[in-house]
Amino acid sequence: MGHWRHSITLRLSLAFALLATLVFAALGAYLSRSADAHMAELDAHELFGKLALTRHVGSREPTPAALAARLNDVLIGEHGVLVAVDGEKGPIFNWPDSPLAGQLAAAAGAAGETPVRLTLVGRDYRVVAGNVQTAWGETARVVVGRDIRHHTDFLDQLQRDFWLALLAAALLTVVVGILIARHGMRPVRAIAQTAGQISAGQLAARIPETDVPPELAELVVSFNAMLGRLEESFQRLSDFSADLAHELRTPIHTLRMQTEVSLAKPRSNDEYRDLLASNLEEYERLSRMIADMLFLAKAEHGLIVPQREAIPLLELGRQLFDYYGILAESQQLVLEGDELTVRGDRLMLQRAIGNLLLNAIQHTPAGGRVALSVHSREGMAAITVSNTGPAIPETALRTIFERFIRADQGGEGSGLGLAIARSIVLAHGGNLTARSSGEITEFSLTLPLTDSQPGIGEPQPAASSQ
Amino acid sequence: MKILIVEDEAKTGDYLKQGLSEAGFTADLVRNGLDGMHEGLSGGHDLLILDVNLPGLDGWQVLKTLRAAGRELPVLFLTARDQVEDRVKGLELGADDYLVKPFAFSELLARVRTLLRRGRVREAETLALADLELDVLKRRATRAGQRIDLTAKEFALLELFLRRPGEVLSRSFIASQVWDMNFDSDTNVVEVAIRRLRAKIDDDFTPRLIHTLRGMGYVMEIR
Repeated sequence: MGHWRHSITLRLSLAFALLATLVFAALGAYLSRSADAHMAELDAHELFGKLALTRHVGSREPTPAALAARLNDVLIGEHGVLVAVDGEKGPIFNWPDSPLAGQLAAAAGAAGETPVRLTLVGRDYRVVAGNVQTAWGETARVVVGRDIRHHTDFLDQLQRDFWLALLAAALLTVVVGILIARHGMRPVRAIAQTAGQISAGQLAARIPETDVPPELAELVVSFNAMLGRLEESFQRLSDFSADLAHELRTPIHTLRMQTEVSLAKPRSNDEYRDLLASNLEEYERLSRMIADMLFLAKAEHGLIVPQREAIPLLELGRQLFDYYGILAESQQLVLEGDELTVRGDRLMLQRAIGNLLLNAIQHTPAGGRVALSVHSREGMAAITVSNTGPAIPETALRTIFERFIRADQGGEGSGLGLAIARSIVLAHGGNLTARSSGEITEFSLTLPLTDSQPGIGEPQPAASSQ
Repeated sequence: MKILIVEDEAKTGDYLKQGLSEAGFTADLVRNGLDGMHEGLSGGHDLLILDVNLPGLDGWQVLKTLRAAGRELPVLFLTARDQVEDRVKGLELGADDYLVKPFAFSELLARVRTLLRRGRVREAETLALADLELDVLKRRATRAGQRIDLTAKEFALLELFLRRPGEVLSRSFIASQVWDMNFDSDTNVVEVAIRRLRAKIDDDFTPRLIHTLRGMGYVMEIR
């Protein structure tokens, strides 16, 4: 039921059939009327001929009897024609010589020179009537009728045949319509077939865009584009799984090795304690990595929903400097800019900017400089973390926000810090970019400003709760 | 102090019990929600450590029943899922704190002590251990009578240790208490800060008071 209701083939065929039937019916009605009119015209022609003849004879013959005799002669051989001439004193002539002509004359009533149709004893007649001035000085009434049965029979037959033809044509249209629609839908089925064959393993397959009708080209192009996007994210996912396996395998391998070796022979308590402590450190790293991976996975699926509280950025910067500054023993730290406030998740922004800061401090040589600046730019808060030091090569910059990418080979950290920073910024509706030239490496982060005036000490509760 | 542990994971439960017992608490362990509810209702415990994901009667239901029955003991719940909804739900149902698995045992211990201390002890204004003294109001530290200059953060760090003598403080706990950095980051900031604090209060004195427990954190005590 549902299938039929939605079948394009069936709907198209029915629509074709309905349209064809309507057109045929209209055409048929028109033809039938034309034929009818044509018959009426033929009949009228004949009737007027007989009327003229009767008048002519009536105005010449001297007596009614002579008139009747003359008309009898003239009308010999005429079938289906009725003629009645009535004088002032009664019927003068009837043709054929039967009561029928008299009845017709009576039924004709007030008929004139415009043909009228009337039915007499189950037969249809077309009738005209007129007066004639006889030679003997009388005004006689002439009624001429024509039996039109053969015409109506013909029209009825025509109509019957026509309706049968119409029915046959409608059925034929449905059948042919189904075939045509099926044929027309063939490219769609071909697309469906191709799509059906695509599995996760062969996302590289595409539907050919060349031999597709223009109506479907758009569909095919967007379908292929979707496949492209799917392929890309699948690729990323599988790369990611491979990376993840690698990153997890390394520490687990270490744990296993050292545990096995330690158990191979008896050791002192101190050695066991060392082993356990070392294991604990690895476990901690592992669980931190898992937590970070989970965070990133959630961010990728839009499941990271930052809370929106007012965050004064310079204050956040000071707090981060307090903490990470401890690591910058030989580098100069500079915090500068305007007191801007954004709405965001304190914990997440702390983490994002903290990761950038930590990254900068770790890559700044002794005597170098790390700066965090906060400015307003194009309606956004622009936070820049820059540091002096050797530039990051262009190729490394391109992938610097990818997971497990460490610009410096064998660098410390999980390789997730910048990826996390980026996903946090994106979740806040901002953007994070990196550039590196000469002696300066710069991470620029933008965040939407609060609606209220930036920079003017905001009376936000969160801002004063510190 | 009696602590009730409701935890269905055998190993986790056993080690929780052992760890808490060795830290000086009396710990009872039950392994399902129903027993947890009965034990909790019967009273006599000062704190409940409740795993949320339990077979049969889950942690939420246990918590709800206890609170409905008017049991006001502090509840620390453990969850494996770091979902905001979970945390909010637990706190709304009347839990006092939560930890997401996997967590450091020292972290759990610190939270347990905080919960047990809450509203009970007025914070002392002067703290002392051996010959180290700290005047919290005057922000002054002395060791063996000698005045020691500390930065604000160093002072906060020392105060944290002195308020929790003998407790193992993990790096992330210290970072969160002293710097308000509430995420686990892979840095040695705390290590460096402790090294500096030691240089001021420990290196030139005996006995040493701040001890490193490798892999776990730091503890301040007289050994």
